[in-house]
Amino acid sequence: MYNFLFYLILELFGWFFLVVSFSVIVIYLIMMVLSSLEMRDYLRKNRFADYGDIVTSPMAPGVSILAPAFNEGKTIVQNVQSLLSLHYGKFEVILINDGSKDDTLEKLISHFELEKTDYAYHPEIETMPVRGIYRSSNMSFRRLTVIDKVNGGKADALNTGINIARMDILACIDVDCILASDSISRMVRPFMEETNRKVIAVGGVIGIANNCDVMDGTVTQYRVPNSLLGRFQVVEYLRAFLMGRMAWTRINGKLIISGAFGFFRTSLVRQVGGYFPKTVGEDMELVVRMRRYMEEAKVPYRVAFVPDPLCWTEVPESEDVLSRQRNRWMRGTIETLQLHQKMSLNPRYNTIGMVSFPFWSVFEKAGPIIEILGVIYTVILVYLGDFSAVYFFALLLLMYLLSILVSSFSILYEQIAFNHYKDKKDLNRLIWTIIIEPFTVHPKVVWWGLKGHWDFIKGKGGWGSMIRKGFKTAEDKKTLNSTTSL
Amino acid sequence: MRKALLGVLLLFCLVSGKVSGQEGDFLSPYANLEEFLIVQESIPGLSFQVYFPESEEDSLLLGKSWLPLVSNDSGRLSSTTADLTLLQYLPDTAAQTYSLIFSIYSAPSSTDGVKEYLSTLIRNRDFFPKDKEVLPESDWIALAYKVRYSPFFKNAFTYFIDFKLIGVTFIIFFFFGSAFFIILFMLIYKSRKIKKEELIKDYDHLVVDPLTSLLFEKETEEIENMEDWEVNQYFPTSLLSKPLYKEVLIDRIISLNKKMKGEFKGKLKALYGRTGLVKVTQQKLNSKKWHKIAEALVEVNEMDLAELLQEVKRYSDSSNYHLRSLSVAALLNLSEKSDLSFLRDQTYPLSDWQQMNFLRIIRFVDNYRPLNLSMLLDSKNASIRIFAIRLVRMLGKMDLLEELAKHTPSMNDLEKIETLKTYQELGAHMEVDFINSCLTSDNPELLIQAGKAAGILGNEESLRLITEILEKNKDFRIERTMLRSLKELDQRAFENLMATSSKEDFKRIGNHLNDPLLAHV
Repeated sequence: MYNFLFYLILELFGWFFLVVSFSVIVIYLIMMVLSSLEMRDYLRKNRFADYGDIVTSPMAPGVSILAPAFNEGKTIVQNVQSLLSLHYGKFEVILINDGSKDDTLEKLISHFELEKTDYAYHPEIETMPVRGIYRSSNMSFRRLTVIDKVNGGKADALNTGINIARMDILACIDVDCILASDSISRMVRPFMEETNRKVIAVGGVIGIANNCDVMDGTVTQYRVPNSLLGRFQVVEYLRAFLMGRMAWTRINGKLIISGAFGFFRTSLVRQVGGYFPKTVGEDMELVVRMRRYMEEAKVPYRVAFVPDPLCWTEVPESEDVLSRQRNRWMRGTIETLQLHQKMSLNPRYNTIGMVSFPFWSVFEKAGPIIEILGVIYTVILVYLGDFSAVYFFALLLLMYLLSILVSSFSILYEQIAFNHYKDKKDLNRLIWTIIIEPFTVHPKVVWWGLKGHWDFIKGKGGWGSMIRKGFKTAEDKKTLNSTTSL
Repeated sequence: MRKALLGVLLLFCLVSGKVSGQEGDFLSPYANLEEFLIVQESIPGLSFQVYFPESEEDSLLLGKSWLPLVSNDSGRLSSTTADLTLLQYLPDTAAQTYSLIFSIYSAPSSTDGVKEYLSTLIRNRDFFPKDKEVLPESDWIALAYKVRYSPFFKNAFTYFIDFKLIGVTFIIFFFFGSAFFIILFMLIYKSRKIKKEELIKDYDHLVVDPLTSLLFEKETEEIENMEDWEVNQYFPTSLLSKPLYKEVLIDRIISLNKKMKGEFKGKLKALYGRTGLVKVTQQKLNSKKWHKIAEALVEVNEMDLAELLQEVKRYSDSSNYHLRSLSVAALLNLSEKSDLSFLRDQTYPLSDWQQMNFLRIIRFVDNYRPLNLSMLLDSKNASIRIFAIRLVRMLGKMDLLEELAKHTPSMNDLEKIETLKTYQELGAHMEVDFINSCLTSDNPELLIQAGKAAGILGNEESLRLITEILEKNKDFRIERTMLRSLKELDQRAFENLMATSSKEDFKRIGNHLNDPLLAHV
């Protein structure tokens, strides 16, 4: 009897892996087609857009740039200067010093001639206490407001900024990001083009600045990073931004906007209660909650995406830092999917419930688990002598070739759309990275993902029981603020 | 009912009896019980003895090959054995002279008792009887030689029996097929793009020189009156027949037109007409591809091709956002009439981006050709009406304030907010009653905007309403706006309130408003 059950399970697993493999291939091929269509349309539409007026037009919306900073003393002055010099008419920079232990605040005060004000801070979204709000008497820095607060994490810092933001659009960025001078104009355009469907948020592409030359806030010379991990992330970012997010934008199913560079409608962010500080995936969680709110309110909406290269950041090239980052991303994904589990396979939430959630649950959240199960399954088959080399190598080769195809497609995409990596040596290095990535870096990424799962189970960092229970509606987070001390 | 049940029960008993009876048929393939026992070799618990009556011959025979026999008064009795194969050595004679004595677990049993015991064992699956071995009559190989070969599996193509293998094969073919087409597409696309870019570069070189010399050597009239052969000298017919060359020429002329001013613009427009590019634009206007039409609309707008306005008008209410934007922009720019009905009658909502572009054009055109903006206030489309209110504000159209005031009773809240902003910016003191009426609204956004306007344009009534709101309201944002308005409207009343109020929020807001660093925050 048990013998029979065991073999039945093995057989079922065999079919399961076959179906998963087929789904992966089909889904990625569909994504390639969707992203191509979206990119083609974007490039066509962009030809007819004139950004000349937006800087001075009274019709252009105001933008509040929110930049949380924690122990950024070494570079904070240059970073803020770079933000203040952005080419746009109506914007303010709100820098939130999230309880830095270094001299971040002192440097800001002395360089920007800041003085503590009597600002009537009203925490519409509950946050950690604010110690002071600073502004400059120098008119050159009239756009700058600095908030000094008790440390509460990135989401809490952003919520503090949201509480005092005065403009219609919020630009939530990492303070150490390099922004192109016309980045605001470009990112604001989808909000301004809104007609029948409300544009609730706009995501942008993050470029990798490691090993590149930067001048006046723009990358002038592109070079791929020297380390394998760095180059792997270049390929990964191209895959994620140029292929993945473009494809999801095409079907209005995007669940994530990068926390390093995302634009949101202020009124809606306040409406849903701002960022949720008890998850490590606050950027994804906010987008999902905003979308959920719109779906529950039955208001037509979309989350837009601008594929222009407008923001660059340094990515970690050490294994230790990268592993922690991936662990955090995995926990963030699990927590968000858990918090909004009610949306999964729920037709009430349309594309996001019926397509995005199942995709993220199977391929992003459970991806590492499926991969490790595949390895265990193969080992069992070898042990039992039931191992079929034909199946195994056929599927393995197939997945490997798919990985190469998808990555090559993303690079070619970059070449057609932007052509940043002009040096043939750089291209060759990227192609070599694509070939060796599945055997060198990918197993590590899977392992870090598994560790993320394990840490989630242990309840690390998150708000265990609350997250497991999930939000009943998109506005649940607001009630949490008033009842729960952070 | 009972009878029916009993009937069913009886039927069940009969059926079960039949089943039980069938279970006793294990002997059917055998001639007798002994033959069955020999095939089975041994059966748990079953043993036997053989009894021979006095007979010299038999005892001799058995004594050689079988069990030791013990004599008694009437004959000879064998010892007990469980080895049933020994039964085959019993003499097979017609007149059976011996008798078998069976024992089940050492208790003597009759032949029927043994049969019943065996039947029970088989039924309870405690014993699985061996089948009678059918031995071939001849040698196997010799038999096989005589039988004609046929495959073991009925299905001639056994590949299809393994579904998983079919699955994997399908996936592989699907993948390679799709990958092949994608790669092929990408390679073709890339090579075409490279080719096109090279050609564009070449054509660009061929276009720049003649354009420069024409612009600097000839007057506008001269360009307009150029003969065909003269045009050919600058732009050969062989090249002008190539679509890509024409595309490059158009791009060049339009980009120069954007950068240049005055006389040069006229020359470029004359050249555009003389080289027959207007026809290209016209053809594009009738294209089925939206981006081609959009290109044509840009060309019409840039090169002032007023003769194509009727065709442009077709797209002013197109379902394609870009087409209707570019079409309205061209119409605003080139139409000689002050009539804005094409804009008023738009059925799609006007985006801020469109409004920004139209505002730029209207601001420019309105200087030399006053437009009938007031007709936009009558639009059925709320976004057009909002745009009209914004135009009044942004173009400083004081003369339209009266017209605007007539529309206020039928306005929705968003329109009212825009109107309040307009009144505030244009200093429309005469509309204070409207501002005061908005101060009684339940919509917090409208209330806040009314408060802001009242701070600048308010009267005694506004002061009363603001004080009333401050007494009742608990919304921090509204409190802050109203206190700011109160301060602007009546500094003394504000200071009095600050001095007398016990509300903590009022004090904090008061300090905020008095802080010079927070003057506009």
